[in-house]
Amino acid sequence: MVDAKQREVVILNMVLLALAALSLGVAVWDVFSDTFRAGTDDLFLVLVCLMLALLFATPPLLWARANGLLKNPFAEEAVAEGGVEMEVVHEAHGGSDRQNIYVWGALLGLTIFEVFLAYMKVPLTLMVIILMGASIIKAALIVAYFMHLKFERLSLILTIVPTLVVLLCLFAILFPDSFRLQKMRPSEPMQSVEQKQEG
Amino acid sequence: MAEARAEGVMPNDWSGGALPYRVGHRKLGMWLFIMSDSLTFGALLVTYSYARVASVNWPTPFPFRPSIIFSTAMTFVLLSSSLTMVFAVSASKRQKRATARKWIAATMVLGLTFIVLHLMEWNHLIGEGLAPFELPEEWAKAFPGASPLFGSAFFGITGLHMFHVFTGVCYLGVIAARIKKLNDDVEVAGLYWHFVDLVWMFVFPLIYLLSVDYSGVLAK
Repeated sequence: MVDAKQREVVILNMVLLALAALSLGVAVWDVFSDTFRAGTDDLFLVLVCLMLALLFATPPLLWARANGLLKNPFAEEAVAEGGVEMEVVHEAHGGSDRQNIYVWGALLGLTIFEVFLAYMKVPLTLMVIILMGASIIKAALIVAYFMHLKFERLSLILTIVPTLVVLLCLFAILFPDSFRLQKMRPSEPMQSVEQKQEG
Repeated sequence: MAEARAEGVMPNDWSGGALPYRVGHRKLGMWLFIMSDSLTFGALLVTYSYARVASVNWPTPFPFRPSIIFSTAMTFVLLSSSLTMVFAVSASKRQKRATARKWIAATMVLGLTFIVLHLMEWNHLIGEGLAPFELPEEWAKAFPGASPLFGSAFFGITGLHMFHVFTGVCYLGVIAARIKKLNDDVEVAGLYWHFVDLVWMFVFPLIYLLSVDYSGVLAK
């Protein structure tokens, strides 16, 4: 009975891994195919494939981790068995006042850096990238330390963070279309065109 | 759970009878709300970026004084309010209700300061002639062909954020008043407050810092 159950779990995980590999393969195939233009369609396809790959790969990876097949190289020596001791370890790490003040200082520092950057003569694209990068770091600091997500269970983190990232990326897929819209504008304002036609 | 372990099967949080996330229903509910609300702001900010890039010209009218000074001060105020909220949560976890209430009050004062500063900034811009679908005459001259959507993007996004701050101040007021009856509610309210702070971390650079009049077109 136990063997049958274990075999079932292994087979299901293998199927999921295969599906993850397939999704990854489609994404890679799209990037290297001749029709790749880095437009909205390609962005959509690649992102959705990567999302599916992540989705399919998560259960087998978690299973492998739970069974000791995968080890976190950054984990501390005292890896506790079961959740109770883990939480004790986390409590000891989580949310000391001094740590929170450091995070607050880092957030203020990053804000000053952003304001300073806004007055530098940096190309707009580069500025947007750096500003967004700094903002993502700030958001991560707030979520991890102030909102205490770093000290929650992995299942909660895995439910919240990837979902949000994927959904926001799906919104952002529409964004490159704005460049096309700008190019579609008539070179002269419509009013003058109409006046010419009337004249 | 114990049976599952004895059988050698992976202990499964999802097979029922357990709290898979090890958080209470209030906290989980707040996280779900935060996820949906961040999509609201995400949609607004993507739409704003879309409109901005697709426009022939997008005004960059904010002078260092007062707009950037004000918005930077607002950022500092909001970040500090997050820190006071963290202290409130940690005090409530240590069952120090009076201390928690004081820190919540400090958070509310900082939140109100944010709203007052923001309204002063709005008042200044409205005084210049900015409206949801109309640019001030000076701006229209300085930025030929500038999109009048600037006003709607500015007031829409910062207005919705300000509304969140206002709601947060009311929410914290209720939590502080009922702190004797409730337990993990301070932490849940803290999640909401930090989220409001987090949203501003994207609104501030996208709306203010990318609209800085660093060439001084309007000042001339």
